[in-house]
Amino acid sequence: MKTSNLFTTIFLLISGMFFSCEDQVTTTYTYRTMMPVYLEMSDVRARLITTEPAQPLDNPGKIYIYKNFLFINEPTKGIHILDNSNPANPINLSFIPIEGNVDLAINSDILYADNYVDLLAFDISKISSIKLVNRVKDVFTHLYRHDTGQIITFKDTVITTESPRWETRGWLARSDMSFTANMAAASQSYGTGGSMARFTLMDGHLYAVDESKMRVFDVQTPSEPKFIKPIDLGWGIETIFPFQKKLFIGSNRGMHIYDASTPHSPTRMAVYEHAIACDPVVVNEEHAFVTLRSGNFCVNNINELQVIDIKNPYEPKLKKAYKMLNPHGLGLAGNYLYVAEGKHGLKSFDVKDVMSIDKNQLEFLQSMKSVDLIPGPKSLIVIGPDGICQYDYSTPSKLRKLSCIQVTNPVIIS
Amino acid sequence: MRGKVFCLILFIFFSYVKVLAQESAYFHQTEVGFLWGKGQRNWEGKYQNRMDLSVSTFHGVKITGRHVLGFSVGYDQYDQINLIPIALGWRGFLGKENKPRFFGGLDFGGGSALLEKKETTQWSTSWYEGGMLIHPSVGFKLPAKKGNWALSVSLGYKRQQVSYFQGFLDGSGLSSFAPTLNSRLPGGFSSLNETNYLFHSLVFRMGVMF
Repeated sequence: MKTSNLFTTIFLLISGMFFSCEDQVTTTYTYRTMMPVYLEMSDVRARLITTEPAQPLDNPGKIYIYKNFLFINEPTKGIHILDNSNPANPINLSFIPIEGNVDLAINSDILYADNYVDLLAFDISKISSIKLVNRVKDVFTHLYRHDTGQIITFKDTVITTESPRWETRGWLARSDMSFTANMAAASQSYGTGGSMARFTLMDGHLYAVDESKMRVFDVQTPSEPKFIKPIDLGWGIETIFPFQKKLFIGSNRGMHIYDASTPHSPTRMAVYEHAIACDPVVVNEEHAFVTLRSGNFCVNNINELQVIDIKNPYEPKLKKAYKMLNPHGLGLAGNYLYVAEGKHGLKSFDVKDVMSIDKNQLEFLQSMKSVDLIPGPKSLIVIGPDGICQYDYSTPSKLRKLSCIQVTNPVIIS
Repeated sequence: MRGKVFCLILFIFFSYVKVLAQESAYFHQTEVGFLWGKGQRNWEGKYQNRMDLSVSTFHGVKITGRHVLGFSVGYDQYDQINLIPIALGWRGFLGKENKPRFFGGLDFGGGSALLEKKETTQWSTSWYEGGMLIHPSVGFKLPAKKGNWALSVSLGYKRQQVSYFQGFLDGSGLSSFAPTLNSRLPGGFSSLNETNYLFHSLVFRMGVMF
């Protein structure tokens, strides 16, 4: 009897389950996007900025060398300060929390840092007690939304939805683009002294470039920066490199040369155009070295080191181009050029003879994956997946590793 | 692919049969049939029914005269999706030995998407992941005149979950900067579409048991 009950149950179960059911298909879409976050600038300004104890480096951006210290930007979060008296053993000292900060520069013990739309000036003469001494309001106004006093920033977010609206690749592609653009603004500037800088100082003036404009500040009285004017540059501006009263501005379409002999009002001397690619610039008296690379959203399949003759800055001329693997940042120390080749490693060249750089490769360190480097007074600082590493380059042809600063979320080179 | 798998299963089955038919504690059931299900409504509002192959081989031990516990392995199709169902199962019989008997069965396990290859293109990677299955059934056992053989006819319901993933590769180089935010989006993807299928099928199968 029991068993027959069981059969009846099973039979009812089967028929019940089956005849009421149709196949169910549910789809969820998970994607990463930049979620807009609206902030009132008045709230941001009301927050007190005080130095905090040292924090681990998470996803560092720009690195600035000043005296015996390293100032390392944590994009949109603030600035780490490290004692680098001994490059073999850098010590993490403290952290200045600055919202929306992506860049910095230092002039006579005054640290300049952006705080969304404002430029801040800190007195760092005593590293143990850093003080905010000035705030220049409303200078990076491109972050403002309709001049409402509200700023719009973007937060990297993962969204899961059941709405297939976002499914098409077209949208995703576009979301990626905006994402990239925002991320690029936030963290693509790896270093000053490095070739991927966006704040730079020259002749008592601070120049800050964003994607399309250069803003000029008079900092002849260091603690009182004065905003002078914005200068339109055109789209795709990425880096700025000062050299001998000239500004070399790398964009994804070419290199702009500005005459800054009148420092408050730089004027364009020339634009050296090339195909679309990402391109940091370094310069010496006679030549500019530019790297073009594919990948990221600089999609052209070009990987080159170009040497541009700039003896006549009004008429830059391509002197020679060398094939590279995937060059990112580069650094020039005297006659030695170091090129970060992304996942391929790091190369060093003697560039005394610019016509035969390929024949004068000194080292190709394939294990040293890197995206940017800064030839500092004490060490060559290399940024890569291992974190921030320092190398002794007193013998330029033979790099010797001194130390690596651990980073929680290091650069991943795709 | 399907044909090969089918042949393989049959081969394994018959090689077992020879060896194990004599052992009295051993119970075996192999069936071939179809899965029938009501698919989703199409744009006209009509159900798109599916009818696909289903093969199963069950190996068990007789616990008592009426109850058998064991496991089953098989091959199921759901439209374009090929699964290998692997399950623990029970068979219970009603009626006298050597006479036609009713039987009931319950299988519980998972369907493996091993046969579905991961496809990677320049832009995306897509793959299937199997899921849980539950399969209650009732049937009829018709013994042969000689030997332990019996014909098996069964009707059941099968609930099978399958997931299909399509991840678009992060071609923008973003992973260079942003860390993996959480496990919802695996590294290297800019987006991931997950489609979960829940198949309700009527299973009709015939075969042999001993």
